[in-house]
Amino acid sequence: MNKLIKSIAMGIAGVAMTATAALAADYPERPIGVAVSYGAGGATDFQARIVTMVAGNEDILGQPMYIVNKPGAGGRVGWNWFATEADADGYTLSAYNIPHFVAQSIKGGVQYSKDSFEPIANWGADPAVVVVGKDSKFNTIQELVDFAKANPGKATLSGAGLFVGHHIAALQIEKATEAKFAYIPTKGGGAAAMKAVIAGDVVGGINNLSDAFRAREAGNVKILAVADLQRNEEFLPDVPTLMEAGYDVDNASVNFRGLMVKKGTPQEVIDKLAAKVPEMFANARVVKRMKAGGSPMKIMSRAEVQAMWEKRQETLTELLAGL
Amino acid sequence: MTASRLQHIISSGIVLLVATIVTWISFTQEPADAFLFPRLIAIFFIALAVWNFIRAISGLAKVGEGLDMKSFTNIVPGLLVMGVYVFFAAKTLGFYLASTIAFLLIFTIYDPARLDDVKAWVKRAIVTFVFMSVIYGLFALLLKVQTPRGIWF
Amino acid sequence: MEFLSYFGGVFEPISFLLLLGGTIGGLILGATPGLSPTMAVALLIPFTFHLQPAQGLILLGAAYTSTVAGGAVSAILLKIPGAPANIATSLDGNAMAKKGEGARALHLSFLASGVGGVIGVLLLIFLTPVLAQWALAFSYSHLFWMAILGVTVIGSLDSKSFVKGLLSGCIGLWLSMIGFDDNLGAQRFIFTDALAGGIHIIPALIGLFAIPQVMEMFAKGRANAAIEALEVPKQSFMDSLRELTRNIRALSIGTVFGSIIGIIPGVGGQIAGLVAYDQARKFSPEKEKFGTGHPEGIIAAESANNAMVGPSLVPLLTLSIPGSPTAAVLLGGLIIHGIFPGSDLFDNHPQVAWTFINSMLIGQILMVIFGIYTATWAARIARAPVPIMAAAVMVLALFGSYSVQQSMGDVYIMLSLGVGMFFLEKFGFSAAPLVLGLILGPIAESNFTTGSLIAQAQDGPLLYFMTGPLNMFLIFLVIASVAYSFWSNMVLGKKSVPAEAQS
Repeated sequence: MNKLIKSIAMGIAGVAMTATAALAADYPERPIGVAVSYGAGGATDFQARIVTMVAGNEDILGQPMYIVNKPGAGGRVGWNWFATEADADGYTLSAYNIPHFVAQSIKGGVQYSKDSFEPIANWGADPAVVVVGKDSKFNTIQELVDFAKANPGKATLSGAGLFVGHHIAALQIEKATEAKFAYIPTKGGGAAAMKAVIAGDVVGGINNLSDAFRAREAGNVKILAVADLQRNEEFLPDVPTLMEAGYDVDNASVNFRGLMVKKGTPQEVIDKLAAKVPEMFANARVVKRMKAGGSPMKIMSRAEVQAMWEKRQETLTELLAGL
Repeated sequence: MTASRLQHIISSGIVLLVATIVTWISFTQEPADAFLFPRLIAIFFIALAVWNFIRAISGLAKVGEGLDMKSFTNIVPGLLVMGVYVFFAAKTLGFYLASTIAFLLIFTIYDPARLDDVKAWVKRAIVTFVFMSVIYGLFALLLKVQTPRGIWF
Repeated sequence: MEFLSYFGGVFEPISFLLLLGGTIGGLILGATPGLSPTMAVALLIPFTFHLQPAQGLILLGAAYTSTVAGGAVSAILLKIPGAPANIATSLDGNAMAKKGEGARALHLSFLASGVGGVIGVLLLIFLTPVLAQWALAFSYSHLFWMAILGVTVIGSLDSKSFVKGLLSGCIGLWLSMIGFDDNLGAQRFIFTDALAGGIHIIPALIGLFAIPQVMEMFAKGRANAAIEALEVPKQSFMDSLRELTRNIRALSIGTVFGSIIGIIPGVGGQIAGLVAYDQARKFSPEKEKFGTGHPEGIIAAESANNAMVGPSLVPLLTLSIPGSPTAAVLLGGLIIHGIFPGSDLFDNHPQVAWTFINSMLIGQILMVIFGIYTATWAARIARAPVPIMAAAVMVLALFGSYSVQQSMGDVYIMLSLGVGMFFLEKFGFSAAPLVLGLILGPIAESNFTTGSLIAQAQDGPLLYFMTGPLNMFLIFLVIASVAYSFWSNMVLGKKSVPAEAQS
């Protein structure tokens, strides 16, 4: 009924909208867009390109997915656009980054919150790691923390922005070690933060496990610790977790990536996507490419993601309350 | 031809008004940290705008060809079509339908051929069709850009 | 000379076909308003899924080089720069095309692109290890001064009035602040929802350049809309080549500035063309001819644009740091194929790395041949009847600005800026300095804020921004540039435009 009133009010545009809703059963009948809130070439972008590459297969969705980049202000621009301007018809999806958008919505100043979106499925989990340049005098996380304790505010740590996973990790480390670091958000995402570490502009940095793994392979950095509950056996079996090093830092900063739709998308569409998208992520070709790219995968169903969002909302509200 | 003194005063006045608004916002909005750079720019902006305005009043501004009445009346219909097309029709009618109509309209309005000339209408239709086919081929088929569909296409 | 042994890989049938397709496709994409090199390369990444890594890179590399050059086509013929890199090309190129010499302008631009491009790639081949260290030397304070150096160019760029040039630049700087602030996420100057995402450079570029063109055509009205009898003389290749050799100074200035700016991560190719154009003018004995269809302007701008391509890949290939948005997309393309660039790339995957670089070298040459071959034909666009041109540019502007981020907000911004610019231009303001402000604003601001944060942890902002040889050198350049602008305005300006000299 609500829809009917709306369509009269919105005139011609409304007719088009009800028509779309009626066609939900045939969904999808044209290519599906995926908005990525970070620039082309960043970790979220190229992973999104890999995990959506088989969407056009007949046994998955039968229609290809294409990526639209909407970078800016640590993701705020893209998610704001998605929450306010995108159509809730299932033809525009967005990639989410947890804890980024939840932390930003708690901090305020944006037009979205956890409740503006409906998760579909999760494809990856990229923990934050602590890195230093290859010629740095620090070889363990303890040495870095000791330096920060002796020189409050002098230990600069680069990261991809404010209220993204890297920043959360830095906040948690500060809280757990009671040392005062200087967190330096860089413009240009993880790549710019990594450049600052390699060039020696900063003492150390927080970065994505996947990017740090590649930088270490290239011989540019040392990785001191992982901000996760367990070591990453696949890529970094030799790097200790912060927990092992004796600092109480959990996995709240782990960067979960997945797909979501806008609230108000027809339930049939959500159900179809929730059933098919995890299959798409698990496709053998996708898994092979992700592994080759050094990107840790973690496929989670819609229900699991909903629970994970809830949990993050709680922990982040608590963590950010003091700021 | 060059712009008259009055036209210079009006244009400089509008720029000065914009500069004033920008400066006012920069120095009143919070958080101050985020407005540090805008404030810096606003100082230069308003200083230059005032200088420019004084030059316009004292008749020193001589650059720019200005706008005569005839050009202005020539622009109005085209600008109206363009405004409706971009701000309204493209989204409601769909990109391709709206573009076809807008293309044909602009072509017709500014075509020197007479309106009852059948041959000219055939030519317009063919050119519009060919051009829109190229646009469709380039954007929809080759680049796979999804455009708003509106009521039709 | 190791790279020579990998030339065979480029000439394998499939690879060569891809190279040819990438080059021709890249030229067409580059000539389409709204499709910047970054976007064109990103659009091609899905195609590389089905290819071998080396083949995929050939396609991407060819597309990168040729889209940069292709952007000059629409800049010259339509005065719509395909990408920020081509703004400077449009200043003289379009003036030349309006005189019916579009083919000459296209020839010069492709030849200059080819020369600059080949030299840029050769730098990449021979000097990569040295240049890589150099790229790392640029920190936040240096990038800040680089941006300020760019700002000092604003006043003298394509404007008959010094004060209005500066004012145009200020408007651009202000427009660049609109939207979410990158560091704190605070909202600035957001008056309507369409502005929440800030002003994206490509739709702004389309609006600021294309819409005033369209309105200019409207202004001619019906009565005068008869097809202007414009002769498009056939341009001989040898004549163009001779003309290029007569302008060695502009060519060298363009190539040198393009290569240097290309290496610096974060500044990228967006301003290479403009800076080289400005320098070429300062060193030219025929300064007053710039902006009126002067060959030196086209040559300096286009050689700089393509010279930038090779060096801009240095930080990417050796340190895995993308120095420009396009390099970032290429990095994504490499990682998808399981290849991680880094200091050992040339040891672990020489086949891939060298084939990629060689293909860019061959791609430059193919691009020149193809560009020259079609120039006379393409230049006929200038003879299209005015109403068709107006309608076509209008529709292209809509599609071009929408396809960047698939956002209607960008389209609204495009038209609003364009209509505003039309009226501003009528009173002596100009689009080029405004766009330069729009590009440099965020670079200056973000490097200033990040640099200040680091400075606080070190010895304070004054020492951080003002000391060190590279900082001193850049500050010296800034002062020299400002002094030159004043001097040329006060002393030289008096001769040509007496009324404006007092500004």
